[in-house]
Amino acid sequence: MITTLFYILFLSPILGFAINGINFRKSNGTIAGIIGTSAVLVSFVAGLLLFKEMLSVENKVLTVQFFNWLSVGSFNAPASFLMDPISGIMTLIITGVGSLIHIFSAGYMSHDPRPFKYFSYLNLFIFNMLLLVLGDNLLVTFVGWEGVGLCSYLLIGFWFSDEKKAAAGMKAFITNRVGDAGLLIGIFILFSQLGTVNYSELNQYATSLSLESGWFGPITLAMIFLFIGVAGKSAQIPLYVWLPDAMAGPTPVSALIHAATMVTAGVYLLIRLSPVLVLAPNAMMIIAVVGAMTALLGALIGITQWDIKKILAYSTVSQLGYMILGVGVGAFIPAFFHLMTHAFFKALMFLGSGSVIHSMHEEQDIRKMGGLAKLMPITHLTFFIGWLAIIGLPPFSGFFSKDEILFYAYASKSSSVLLWLVGVIGAGCTAYYMTRLMCLTFWGESRVSDDVHPHESPISMTLPLIVLALLAAFAGLLGIPHVISEVLPGHPPNVLEHLLKPYIAKISKHEVSVSGEWLLMLISVLVAISMAVLSYMIYVKKSFDIEAMTKKVSFAHKLSYNKFFVDEFYFARIINPIVLASKALWLHIDVMFIDKITYYVTDVIRTGGTHNKSLQNGNFQSYAFYMAVGIASFLIMVFAF
Amino acid sequence: MLLSALIFLPLIFAVVIAFCPKDKIVQPLALIFSGLLFVLSMLMLFNFDPNTAAIQFTEKADWIPQLGIKYFVGIDGISLWLVILSNFLLPLVIIGSAKSVTTKIRSFYSALFILQSSMVGSFLALDLILFYIFFESSLIPMAMMIGIWGGDKKIYASFKFFIYTMLGSVFMLASIICLMLLNKTVTGTLSSDVLELYKMDIAFIDGRLFSTQTLLFLGFAIAFAIKVPMFPVHTWLPDAHVQAPTPGSVILAGVMLKMGTYGFMRFAIPLFPEASTHLSWVFSFLAVIGIIYGALVAMVQTDIKKLVAYSSVSHMGYIILGLFAFNEIGMTGGLYQMLNHGLSTGALFFLVGMIYDRTHTREISAYGGLAKILPLYSIFFLVVTFSSIAVPLTNGFVGEFYILMGTFLSNPVWGALAVTGVILGATYMLWMVKKVFFGEENLGLLEHKLLDLKKSEYMVLVPIVIMIFWMGLFPGHFLQYSQKSISNLTENLTNYELTLYNQNNDSNELISQKQNNF
Repeated sequence: MITTLFYILFLSPILGFAINGINFRKSNGTIAGIIGTSAVLVSFVAGLLLFKEMLSVENKVLTVQFFNWLSVGSFNAPASFLMDPISGIMTLIITGVGSLIHIFSAGYMSHDPRPFKYFSYLNLFIFNMLLLVLGDNLLVTFVGWEGVGLCSYLLIGFWFSDEKKAAAGMKAFITNRVGDAGLLIGIFILFSQLGTVNYSELNQYATSLSLESGWFGPITLAMIFLFIGVAGKSAQIPLYVWLPDAMAGPTPVSALIHAATMVTAGVYLLIRLSPVLVLAPNAMMIIAVVGAMTALLGALIGITQWDIKKILAYSTVSQLGYMILGVGVGAFIPAFFHLMTHAFFKALMFLGSGSVIHSMHEEQDIRKMGGLAKLMPITHLTFFIGWLAIIGLPPFSGFFSKDEILFYAYASKSSSVLLWLVGVIGAGCTAYYMTRLMCLTFWGESRVSDDVHPHESPISMTLPLIVLALLAAFAGLLGIPHVISEVLPGHPPNVLEHLLKPYIAKISKHEVSVSGEWLLMLISVLVAISMAVLSYMIYVKKSFDIEAMTKKVSFAHKLSYNKFFVDEFYFARIINPIVLASKALWLHIDVMFIDKITYYVTDVIRTGGTHNKSLQNGNFQSYAFYMAVGIASFLIMVFAF
Repeated sequence: MLLSALIFLPLIFAVVIAFCPKDKIVQPLALIFSGLLFVLSMLMLFNFDPNTAAIQFTEKADWIPQLGIKYFVGIDGISLWLVILSNFLLPLVIIGSAKSVTTKIRSFYSALFILQSSMVGSFLALDLILFYIFFESSLIPMAMMIGIWGGDKKIYASFKFFIYTMLGSVFMLASIICLMLLNKTVTGTLSSDVLELYKMDIAFIDGRLFSTQTLLFLGFAIAFAIKVPMFPVHTWLPDAHVQAPTPGSVILAGVMLKMGTYGFMRFAIPLFPEASTHLSWVFSFLAVIGIIYGALVAMVQTDIKKLVAYSSVSHMGYIILGLFAFNEIGMTGGLYQMLNHGLSTGALFFLVGMIYDRTHTREISAYGGLAKILPLYSIFFLVVTFSSIAVPLTNGFVGEFYILMGTFLSNPVWGALAVTGVILGATYMLWMVKKVFFGEENLGLLEHKLLDLKKSEYMVLVPIVIMIFWMGLFPGHFLQYSQKSISNLTENLTNYELTLYNQNNDSNELISQKQNNF
């Protein structure tokens, strides 16, 4: 029964991929959408049933092995899968949000000439993502890890006739490969130290190891290399540069892959290995610092962008930074919680932006929007809920999850107040730029050009928005922190913590008083509200002259607007030198040096030999003759001895 | 008899084809012959016992008894797949040659079968002199293929190829002679039987730069390194590939280069275990250089075929790296990667040939937007590209992963350096894919009125793509045959021995074991 369900879970999207893939030349979008969506829906139902099964088992773990995949010597990595509450919730997010996005896509891509190809890639992505989270060992996860990267490559470059879009796909794949190289080294170190790549074994053996205090302990190194992989997939400094460019893909793809699921894979991996990770406090420190910096950087860039998708992309970078910060300070459950709520509200906002872009005829510049609230009421209302969630207003979901990460950043023994401060500043920026986005897109006066007539999107697009809005609004109730539930009637339990606790490493915290906890919460809510109000005053009420303000801080504005010139830096300092050096290597070593020697040697042979001319005339009978002579003289030589 | 049939039937076929009265029936006839050979090789596979490291299907006869030279062939888990690989690629090459070879058809297919005979011979020979003769004689038909059916600079490329490899073999021949004489001083008889020579203890003095064993090892190693080819003796390869006709390139990359890596595995390493372990750092170092250097240089090529040729240098570096890890994981990876490279690079050369036949250019800049013009061709090209850059669930990943893991376990520094090849490999391939297949359609291309894949082209590509996924999903199906041989090699390196398989003995037990396997 369980094995069958696992098979259905995996094979359904693969079947969808195959059917849609075979028909890739056809152009009937409705059929492609129906096939693609039902494949994921079947998977979702199988996932739900499995989840129920898993909860009913005593230790809440289901494992199943399909076949023996890699096995040589002492190394063993079967194609086996593990469902526990962590991967179970991930499965439901992937197939659930995935289904909604498939439905949305059916409307969004209805006019595209190649819908079958689109849906087949999307189904393939779901399959790979399931491999990633359900894999029982690092290798199966790695298969999914590279697989989702591949689908991401194909989908970013879906409209490949535009070379810029194809280039964005390539950039995503190669940047991820940099991370994957790190991940591979991490896996190698873990295997050489612990002799296994199986998660439960790794986590179990880790408990017998002692804490590593140095920088070059094997586990510390393994975790740092693993984190390079995480930085690639989850878009952290210095490898986040592919994510903003990935917005070249269709908008539902951005919602599914580049917001809700794939980019959170790194966070998932670190949470999965949390018992090993806590052995390496120095690695955790690096992770926390990188996470905090990424959270801030993304938010700072988001402030000045004009492209609605770019703003959401940098916002995703920033939110992923929060999750990584959470992992780094040992807030594994809050990080997972934020992963979940973010999947809802960010998918919602991406789809919302898709709805806007669709009705604006592919316009993405928010300077050319405004006042859309009246024209697109459902899109506006749902986006509004997403906005409330991301800026962290209680009781919307983002508040609970982000606040708990910040609380850990403050209270965890492996953290410092500085990290908390960076997090709060980032949260302030988030409130500012998200409000700016709301103001310029939906509120204020309309700046829409006369030839565009925005209208509400069809039901296939608004329905997913409504469902996601409900989730974004209420998902936070799954993880109500203790202090709040104390004062609430009926003391609602922290469902998430209850489910996940046995599978996740514990970390020690400083004692924080109840009033202290309330105070921290109050600070972040106040910061968010004041920044949101400021933004509203600037962009709707026009109480301040933003142009003049920008001029005063023109240097900072320039930095933020140009994304801190990171791409330019990489290009000038890394990519260009490598290409130039390669050209030089080829010309100087291959062509000039080695071949020169070859010429010289052949020259010696030619002028030294008596039958010089015949050697180079391409006469193969004579070559054969020489060989015969060679063999004969060899035989004579041996005889002589 | 089976192995001799695999070696000598191609020779007979070559003669038959040479005297074939009509040009028209040459290609179909060759196809039938190659199909027959493939069936024979499958027969060999089905009768192969995977539960032993011993040499199977042995055939032994005196040849030049005065010198102790024998006709001695046999097969074990290491040579098995290479023989099958060459018999698998041959029919595909013949199907693919129908369009690209239009002159001197009879000579071409004759040369192809002679080449096949010598390659299979060198994988099966267990007598050093016999091996040397096969190893050398493969040069002539290949040099002919490049020199007669090649591109504009065919004579230059063919000559370079010939001189390079010939030069290396001279050193090997000298080593073989010394080895035989050395054996004579110990045992009193001349013998070039490699199973005998494995047992020899050759003087090796640690710390000294050149002891007897080191020198003899280097003699073999130079010949094989040129064949592989390893950095810095690789420069014959790009020229040979670019000038060779498509079938020549496929055989060259698919099978012939493996004669070098196979030579390391069968001869250089087990004959001279101390010297090879002692000098492993040199070979690992050159392999890592080759991986990175090949990839970097591939990145700046403007000719698709040259790019694929340099990618071969990089990929072959991985194989050497895996072999010189001296552990089971690395060696297994090395062997598997030989097959993977044969399939994926072979397929890439096929694909480049197919598009060249249509447009008569290999310049990357002459292409663009091909995915829109030839969607099916593009799908195949992309799948093979993914295999080449080792995306999981394709064969390339399994080999590359084993190699990197094995290398890392034996020396983390080489392992970590080689991992950068994973990044560079994706870079040059995807850059080329972007330029050729994506972007705006190149107007020059539209003039050709390009047609998508034909039936015969499917027949070439589909089997390879099936193998790419089969080998990626179920590596165990293939490696179970080699496991015993490889663990025998890695575990007993210093006193390596191969025994002969006793076919009569335990035949009942064998049958029951086979049944258990299913």
